[in-house]
Amino acid sequence: MDLCDYAAYQLVRMIKCKQVSACEVLESTLKRIAAVDGLPGQLDGDRDAEPNKVHAFITLTAERARRQAQQIDRAIQAGEEVGPLAGVPFTVKDIFCVEGTLSTAGSKILSNFVAPYTATPVARAEQAGGIMLGKVNLDEFTFGSSNESSAYQPSPRNPWNTSRVPGGSSGGSAAAVAAGEGCLSIGTDTAGSIRQPAAFCGVVGVKPTYGRVSRYGLIAFGSSLDCPGPLARNVSDAALLLQVMSGADPHDSTAANLPVPDYVADLEKPIKGLRVGLSPDYFRLTYVAAESGELEQQPIPEDYKQAIYRVAGRLAEMGADIIEDVPMPHTKYGIPAYFVISRVEAASNLHRYDGVKYGYRTQQPVHDLHEMYRKTRGEGFGLQPKLRILMGMYVSAAQYSEQYYMRALRVRSLIRRDFETIFNPEGRYRLHALLTPTTPTTAFPIAQVYGDSVLMQFADQLTVAANHAGIPAISFPCGFDPEGLPYGAQLIGSDFSEALLLRLARNYEIATETDQWRKRIPPILRST
Amino acid sequence: MITPELFDHLVELAALELSPHEAEYLRRELNNQLRALQELVAVPLDPDIPPALHGINYPREIRPPLRNDEWIPSSHVETILKQAPELEERYVVVPEIPHQDLE
Amino acid sequence: MSPEYEAVIGLETHIQLNTQTKIFCPCKADSWNDPPNTNICPVCTGMPGVLPVLNKAAVEKAMLLAAAMNAEIQPISYFDRKNYFYPDLPKGYQISQYNMPIARGGYLVFPMPDGSERKVTIQKLHLEEDAGKTKHDFGRRLIDFNRCGVPLVEMVTGPDLHSADEAAQYIIRLRQLLRWIGISEADMEKGHLRCDANVSIRPKGAEVLNPKTEIKNLNSIVAIREAIQTEIQRQIREVEAGNPIEAWTLEWDEDRSILRKMRSKETEADYRYFREPDLLSLQIDEAWKAAVLSTLPELPLQRRARFVKEYGLPIYDADILTSERSLSEYYEATLQAYQGDPKRVSNWIINDVLRIINELGVSAAELKITPPYLAQIIRMVDESVINISTGKALLDKVQNCGKEPAAIVSEEGLAKMNDADMLETLIQQLLVENPVQVESYRKGKSGLLGWFVGQVMKQTQGKADAQLTRSILEKYLNQK
Repeated sequence: MDLCDYAAYQLVRMIKCKQVSACEVLESTLKRIAAVDGLPGQLDGDRDAEPNKVHAFITLTAERARRQAQQIDRAIQAGEEVGPLAGVPFTVKDIFCVEGTLSTAGSKILSNFVAPYTATPVARAEQAGGIMLGKVNLDEFTFGSSNESSAYQPSPRNPWNTSRVPGGSSGGSAAAVAAGEGCLSIGTDTAGSIRQPAAFCGVVGVKPTYGRVSRYGLIAFGSSLDCPGPLARNVSDAALLLQVMSGADPHDSTAANLPVPDYVADLEKPIKGLRVGLSPDYFRLTYVAAESGELEQQPIPEDYKQAIYRVAGRLAEMGADIIEDVPMPHTKYGIPAYFVISRVEAASNLHRYDGVKYGYRTQQPVHDLHEMYRKTRGEGFGLQPKLRILMGMYVSAAQYSEQYYMRALRVRSLIRRDFETIFNPEGRYRLHALLTPTTPTTAFPIAQVYGDSVLMQFADQLTVAANHAGIPAISFPCGFDPEGLPYGAQLIGSDFSEALLLRLARNYEIATETDQWRKRIPPILRST
Repeated sequence: MITPELFDHLVELAALELSPHEAEYLRRELNNQLRALQELVAVPLDPDIPPALHGINYPREIRPPLRNDEWIPSSHVETILKQAPELEERYVVVPEIPHQDLE
Repeated sequence: MSPEYEAVIGLETHIQLNTQTKIFCPCKADSWNDPPNTNICPVCTGMPGVLPVLNKAAVEKAMLLAAAMNAEIQPISYFDRKNYFYPDLPKGYQISQYNMPIARGGYLVFPMPDGSERKVTIQKLHLEEDAGKTKHDFGRRLIDFNRCGVPLVEMVTGPDLHSADEAAQYIIRLRQLLRWIGISEADMEKGHLRCDANVSIRPKGAEVLNPKTEIKNLNSIVAIREAIQTEIQRQIREVEAGNPIEAWTLEWDEDRSILRKMRSKETEADYRYFREPDLLSLQIDEAWKAAVLSTLPELPLQRRARFVKEYGLPIYDADILTSERSLSEYYEATLQAYQGDPKRVSNWIINDVLRIINELGVSAAELKITPPYLAQIIRMVDESVINISTGKALLDKVQNCGKEPAAIVSEEGLAKMNDADMLETLIQQLLVENPVQVESYRKGKSGLLGWFVGQVMKQTQGKADAQLTRSILEKYLNQK
């Protein structure tokens, strides 16, 4: 085990008492990156290059990181107070602006954009002493669930099996954390984009309550759904990062004006008496078959289901009450509603990329401004943004807006009501959390789903409801399938119940600490 | 169903220039997605169900206050301008906008 | 206009609020005379990832305007995105208010110069951000983002106006109102008050609304009058030639006095409005509303009417005195100190004080001739302590030195000479010294009386009581 494989909370302790230096931790991490990451993603890069590497990064900012690490070490030598992330290397999904760094959103249209300011969650992690390693890959503008849509290729691969996708859109984040390329990563979750890759890569991912973490500096996709959140190798580290990211921000009017509780302090408090629900609606997938247009239902694979029931069993052993057969009738509308809301918002959010004031501008000669717009956007956007823009244009057009957009917003109310019902402390279920699989399957093979925009989207069916409802959810690893790919369990809670979800997940970690599967390491690390 | 004509209109609105190959893929995927939306259109909705702009409700006590009218000059002015593809004497430059004079 | 036609005009006004900072970011709002792209930040230039944060003062100023326009302030309103591409709109959408604006309804009743009244209705009043500025440069556009995000209130009138003059008069009264309640500098040259006009024509007496054109960028009262007049004439020509009126968007080129066609409305983008997810609903509770509206002064047209009714002023006087809030307050404060004939105070202000105000380019509130000083001067004239010309000269003296008028009078010995004996001696001496003029007068050149009065005034530095001087002069001159 190298320094870079230690937990963040351990490293902070070791660095603070000068057992190791921040620089040593950083160098160990940079060495790991050099060993496993391979080529960074680049524009027009070869999709199939180095198929046995992780390819998490777009931009590695090693020198910047070295300066930060030296500062931390100097501060510690001088006996100064350092923050709760002192010396912990972390990566940032390249959807966040970080001053002076290339901030690409995985798109050609921002391929030359150097952000003039830093996103609040990143700034807070740095202020807490975290060492930013660089910007990691993602689906273009976060539009995807496999990371394959990035304009920067090769795109990340799953460290547990490099022929599999790492998930998306925070695929670079999840892959990096899983491979020891930084203890932590800051990702974003619009329909599952933190939780799904966390599940695929066997790490912990938290989608906080909407408004818990400022979105300032997060390059927007679905503004009413986007949530920045942490990815980490264990629950405690996720709590540590969430702690520093959270809280009101004068730059974000949707960031809740609500004190941040201590997410770390109560992690190991017992969970006796907490009520955890299981819903049949989260053990099947309802989707529209692309060709026939027929509504089809498909159960979650039995082995995955069993994995989640084993989690329930372990939580019960720790004292939680498990309540089965909790109805969540509107779950199946999550994806269709999402198809509308996120596309309307995305189309609008992508309006600003027009070649006028930053980013890519067409190199071809143009006659007038409109031609400049069309060529710039035609050349600068990949297929996924184009698809989402067109869909957004269609469903928000004046004549369809009532039928689609307003309707979708009302369906969002229905989805929210499902949760309000089960979390109501005076209601029938009185749940503290709902336990579900994070994903319908474990990590799927590269190129298997990519291109089928409908099928790809249904990969988010079990995660998207929390985004509609604005509520928090956590995904954490709970074993491996027969092919050696991680299962992810999801706990969904009520508004601002992150502390409780983290506590449940941490209790599960404690319960499974000595399980054999906990000892596995990603195959890609065996050679290092 | 998004016809080729409607599709072209959307492409125009979106200020996109597409290759025939892209256009074909995108129109097919759009229509597939629209099929998935039929389910949404069929959801029974009581008239008392309000649209939800956000998932959470933002009760008064967690709403951030409005901003006070105090000037804080930005320290990012020059780095913002540095991002412009074409800049001349502090102006951002773009090609002309089409127009036509009436006599 | 040809007598068979009637114009139907609606005005869309954009009012720049005079907040210190922009509506969604803390950049300075006023960039007049600043170099291009200096008052900008990541937010107002639409950098990726930025979010808007609403300026409280912009909301409060919009509330004041809503109340002044008799509109109903809404307890809950929303911001929406209006999506379109334009290079001066960095985000590709404008944050505006669409179907749930900050205020609804409202009207303004305003007088026309002939004394008749017009009532213009307002459908809604909404808050939004301004766009930047673009300028032509040999086949290119140059863009300045300084104005991006400056707070605007948009008010759209009903199709209630029927001539270019009415449109101009409405804007004149609106401009007066905006300055009066202190929410906008309303300087049209600087674009603080901008106006687009929707113009159509119909046969006189008809109720139909015909296709209309929209004239953009009417940025002066003259432009409003000329452009609307030009467009009405053009539409009449078209209709008379049997051509349909097309829903064009026109631009008024003020330098060349021509209309320029922008783009056809049929191809105009659907703005795809939807709720701005980056902002919460705007909630205005009763307490906040009451606190803000408690600062709203009596409005100009109300004050104008009150001056007529309460002080018996002619409408002409009341109109001038209420042209600006500070002047009207100056008038009332003077009247309060003077405790006399309101018309007399009005005369002093309109004839003399306004001259000083205009010469110095200051507001009434900034004058060194404070209302009590002006009242004192008028009273001294009334009480014959000084004569009228001394009184008027005193105005300038007080404005120059800021001293109390009575003090200046006593220091400089300006009090009126109304000692009849002294005047008689002086006049007798005068007649002896000017036998030729006396002779002429007595031969019938009675106009010379004025010359004699003038001589007396000259010798007394204007302090002689004119009335008394005249009667003594007449006494001696008529003694044959």
